[in-house]
Amino acid sequence: MNLDWSVVWTHRQALTHGALLTIGLTVLTMLLAVPGGIVLAMMRLSHQPLLSRASLAFVEFFRNLPLVLVIYWVFYVLPMTTDVQLSPMSTAIVALVLNVSAYNAETFRAGINSIRKGQLEAALAMGMSRHQAMAKVVIPQAARRVLPVLASTWVSLFKDTSLVSVIAVADLAYSAMQVRAQTFRVLEMLTAMAVMYWLMGYPQAKLVDWIHRKYGVKE
Amino acid sequence: MNASSTAASRRHADQPTVLAYEGVRKLFGDFVALQGVDLQVHKGEVVCLIGPSGSGKSTLLRCTNALETLDGGRILVDGQALPANETEVRQVRRRMGMVFQSFELFPHKNALDNVAMGPVTVLGMPEAEARQKAMALLDKVGLAAKAQNFPANLSGGQQQRVAIARALAMNPEVMLFDEPTSALDPETVGEVLSVMQRLAQEGMTMVVVTHEMGFARRVADWVVVFEAGAIIEQGPPAQIFDNPKTERTRDFLGHLGWNG
Repeated sequence: MNLDWSVVWTHRQALTHGALLTIGLTVLTMLLAVPGGIVLAMMRLSHQPLLSRASLAFVEFFRNLPLVLVIYWVFYVLPMTTDVQLSPMSTAIVALVLNVSAYNAETFRAGINSIRKGQLEAALAMGMSRHQAMAKVVIPQAARRVLPVLASTWVSLFKDTSLVSVIAVADLAYSAMQVRAQTFRVLEMLTAMAVMYWLMGYPQAKLVDWIHRKYGVKE
Repeated sequence: MNASSTAASRRHADQPTVLAYEGVRKLFGDFVALQGVDLQVHKGEVVCLIGPSGSGKSTLLRCTNALETLDGGRILVDGQALPANETEVRQVRRRMGMVFQSFELFPHKNALDNVAMGPVTVLGMPEAEARQKAMALLDKVGLAAKAQNFPANLSGGQQQRVAIARALAMNPEVMLFDEPTSALDPETVGEVLSVMQRLAQEGMTMVVVTHEMGFARRVADWVVVFEAGAIIEQGPPAQIFDNPKTERTRDFLGHLGWNG
């Protein structure tokens, strides 16, 4: 077999840009999907049935659709049914945020529910308001339990951003595929792409393991 | 068997009534947890609620600070009915300290901050002042040396003493104890009971749900026996433990191996 690894070096700039975009997409999605998840979890736990059901519907809808379908739908169907035409980059962020917010909502809800009812009661019994009891007692404890799960979601998200390449967002996957298409160096480019994803993903996974150990539930 | 026949032996009968339960009813679905309970707690009194599990003692305690809502009757605190409105309920709650069976210390705060948290959050006390007060209270329960420990690094008995200090930090008029020693190893029960006994001697009004008959005999001014959501007998400890008026009280104490 005739291999030419120089193709990777030649296109290093496109690949680096792609890698940076992948990181940027992950960070931006998480920055929006954490507050999104908190809002959805609060709605879900509220005593207003309307808010609670709206949140449940949102979560179950987006959690059970393939992400790639949501991406296609926002990009192709949304402009057909409404007048909204988003750029590929905006489409990517909207689709990722919808999906990850749904997951985060479940994570936060489970985290809050995992705190014993007695903790809330102890706070209320001292005369705290419900709001103070949540802010001072329940949420700080829930946050520690939620952190390892959020970290795992982060690592999945980092890899799942590659799906936005289907609408020509120039992330690492798309950039590598472009080079492959131009040079026909399939083995080299797919290998280079795998190595880059792995080298970026592995330290994150190790960091998650560390967070699990440090913040895992001990009582 | 009711208050009128035994008023003479009720030491605090002339003191103001701090808590008055009038026909208190509580349902959990179809289950009648409390079926019309009448009881008075006077200032400075230690009232122990005893009886089999599920007889309604803890439920009555939890109704007192509105952790449970009533399905009938009413509870007067210093002559005022428990309010329905959340903000007013908070005003009443801060006048009552509650100690739970499972301690419910806040695991993300050390002992000192657990105690200081109420005054800071609820009363708006400056943090330095609250910490100073918390330190004095930890000292009072014999745990000044453990102020920096987190709950996970305290024994059950120590955690419960911190929980008592935490409740005292709000300067309550009444202390409610919900089976405070039931979750403890036998060797640490004594240290918690002695803190409670000291509190009683200082004149704190206390309502204590307990299975510690020795404590009730020794410390209580008034003992109330529950069965199936109703009071079957109440009186001074000498009556309840040495000369119970009802067969069922005798049965209950007999089952516990209590023989005077």
